[in-house]
Amino acid sequence: MLGLKHSIRFALGSIWSAKMRSSLTTLGIIIGVAAVIANVSLGASFSEFFEDEIGSVGNNFIVIESNTPHTFHDNELELVKNTPGIVGVSPLTQETGGVRYMSEVRQIPVQGVSDDYGQVANIQMGSGSFIDDNDGYVAVLGYDVAYDKFDRKIANKNSIEITFVKSDGSTVTETFRVKGITQSKETKLVESGIEPEGRIFIPVKVMSELLGDDYYWGFFAAAESIETIDEVSDEVDKRLARNLGIPMRDLDEEDIKPYSIFDQGEVLENMNQVSGALGTLLTSVAFISLVVGSIGIMNIMLVTVTERTSEIGIMKSLGFKNYEVLSLFIVESMVVGLLGGILGTLFGLGGAYLVNNLMGLPHVFPLELIFIGMFVSLFVGLVAGVYPANKAAKMNPVDALRHE
Amino acid sequence: MMVIRLYEGNSQLNDDTVMDVVIDIQNIRKSYLLGDMEVPILHGINLLVKKGEFVAIMGPSGSGKSTLMNMIGCLDRPTDGNVMLMGKDTRSISDNDLAELRGFEIGFVFQNFNLIPRLSAYENVLLPTYSNSKVNLDNEERARDLLETVGLGDRLDHKPTELSGGQRQRVAIARSLINDPSLILADEPTGNLDTKTSTEVMDIFSSLHKGGCTIVMITHDPEMEKYADRVVHIRDGYIENN
Ligand SMILES: Nc1ncnc2c1ncn2[C@@H]1O[C@H](COP(=O)(O)OP(=O)(O)OP(=O)(O)O)[C@@H](O)[C@H]1O
Ligand SMILES: [Mg+2]
Repeated sequence: MLGLKHSIRFALGSIWSAKMRSSLTTLGIIIGVAAVIANVSLGASFSEFFEDEIGSVGNNFIVIESNTPHTFHDNELELVKNTPGIVGVSPLTQETGGVRYMSEVRQIPVQGVSDDYGQVANIQMGSGSFIDDNDGYVAVLGYDVAYDKFDRKIANKNSIEITFVKSDGSTVTETFRVKGITQSKETKLVESGIEPEGRIFIPVKVMSELLGDDYYWGFFAAAESIETIDEVSDEVDKRLARNLGIPMRDLDEEDIKPYSIFDQGEVLENMNQVSGALGTLLTSVAFISLVVGSIGIMNIMLVTVTERTSEIGIMKSLGFKNYEVLSLFIVESMVVGLLGGILGTLFGLGGAYLVNNLMGLPHVFPLELIFIGMFVSLFVGLVAGVYPANKAAKMNPVDALRHE
Repeated sequence: MMVIRLYEGNSQLNDDTVMDVVIDIQNIRKSYLLGDMEVPILHGINLLVKKGEFVAIMGPSGSGKSTLMNMIGCLDRPTDGNVMLMGKDTRSISDNDLAELRGFEIGFVFQNFNLIPRLSAYENVLLPTYSNSKVNLDNEERARDLLETVGLGDRLDHKPTELSGGQRQRVAIARSLINDPSLILADEPTGNLDTKTSTEVMDIFSSLHKGGCTIVMITHDPEMEKYADRVVHIRDGYIENN
């Protein structure tokens, strides 16, 4: 019985005896497998990158925004805070303020928050510290506000003046001491819309008092973990809806509810959808090149079979059974595929490495990739080899021997 | 010289002699289809070859010698009639089992050597054992020994293209012997060789014969008759009685 060891040696000898042709044949597979490997690897890098990006935006955040004023009050704040799975919540108010430093005045968004906000929104301080619940007229400045907005840089413990226009048209101006400045931001692909860099944070109590309002624009809450975030955010949604007298059947009607709610999980999901679509596109390109590659192998195997007709006759005269001739050619085809697969995997990983470097993506090379590369190429070799090998195996030995 | 025995119809041999019969061909016919035309090549051939015999088959070109040898070697099946090898009725044996029978019991030597060009002499000799290997034989040692025997002990790693015609044929002979077959079938083994190398090759066959090998050899060359125990003449698909 023909052993695998001999089949492989025989195949290698045959491949080696036609080096040029073999390398051109493997090229198709190399490109296909390299494309698959690079795609999967890049896909993995992208999703890790997105996850990091979203992760840096906040710690399992749930954002609740009201669509109309006077929707959320302390009552709702308590409700959110007491929902199981919620580990922190900050009310939010926001208004554009006229900010004066030295003699310059700039219009800057100001947010009223409580001390939970720093943790929930994952705000990294460059200097000083974030707002806490005992604070009075203090402000935390975004990095850009402190260092870019004004001609002169603002430092910790400097004073700024903020002027708000109240709902009745009158203005109110107060002096705030700068308590902290956030870290400079890294360049990011993903904008969450809640970046702290261009904002000023002041205690929510102070802001409500100044504006004379008793409602919140929304809540910024944190769930225990990313795994339970969907359930927790659904629960918050339900409780708020019940509290506001919205029928359960309208829970998913964004137009009827006076607020909207979204969480970090959904943002991740959307990102994954985008990268998934990208992946599908790349994968189809890889798939097409694999098909082309396998047609290349099949073509060359057919040529090989024709070329080696007399050899097949010899083998049969020497006592090789049909299935042994079959396996010999299939093994050869699979070895061609595997060689292409090994090189393709290397090129694919190399390509992904380069792209990661160029785009500043993290290097993620799942080990399965190597198995995928080998498996795909062996499979392609197998599929491409079956028809030519079958043709070889079915040859009549006398006719094959006669062939010159 | 052993008895030249051509016989018609079924053999009437007793049990002792049946054991000694290597080839028993019973009234075989072979025709090829050329388009719709059936062209008969062999017209009812009977042939009995006993163990240890050296039979030469002679006849003009196109008379059907190779066709007959293909039937004996089970490379092809007759259109009609029966080929008995070592007492086995080959009609009832599957193609795969026939291949195995070939691998173990028959050694082929062809006019054009039929070596695999990219394999070395040693690998060519070893090749049949990849498929059919007798457990009691050390194949690798035997391959080296056989090449030594045919005078190629120093040419183990030469490719066929690096060998002369006579040397190639000696590799082919060594290959035919690797599984210690019951029968050697040679189709014009000296057809491509000059007189001197032909003699060398025939000397090898001769000594194999002396060692007890059963050999059936096709030849054009009347010179070769002298090596054989008996000569069978074929003309137009018939065995000529002389
Ligand atoms: N596959 C085939 N199809 C059709 N005709 C064939 C086939 N094989 C052999 N023949 C014919 O059978 C006849 C006998 O051929 P064969 O090869 O047996 O002759 P031969 O006696 O060996 O001749 P040579 O001495 O030239 O080798 C020839 O006429 C040949 O054309
Ligand atoms: Mg012939």
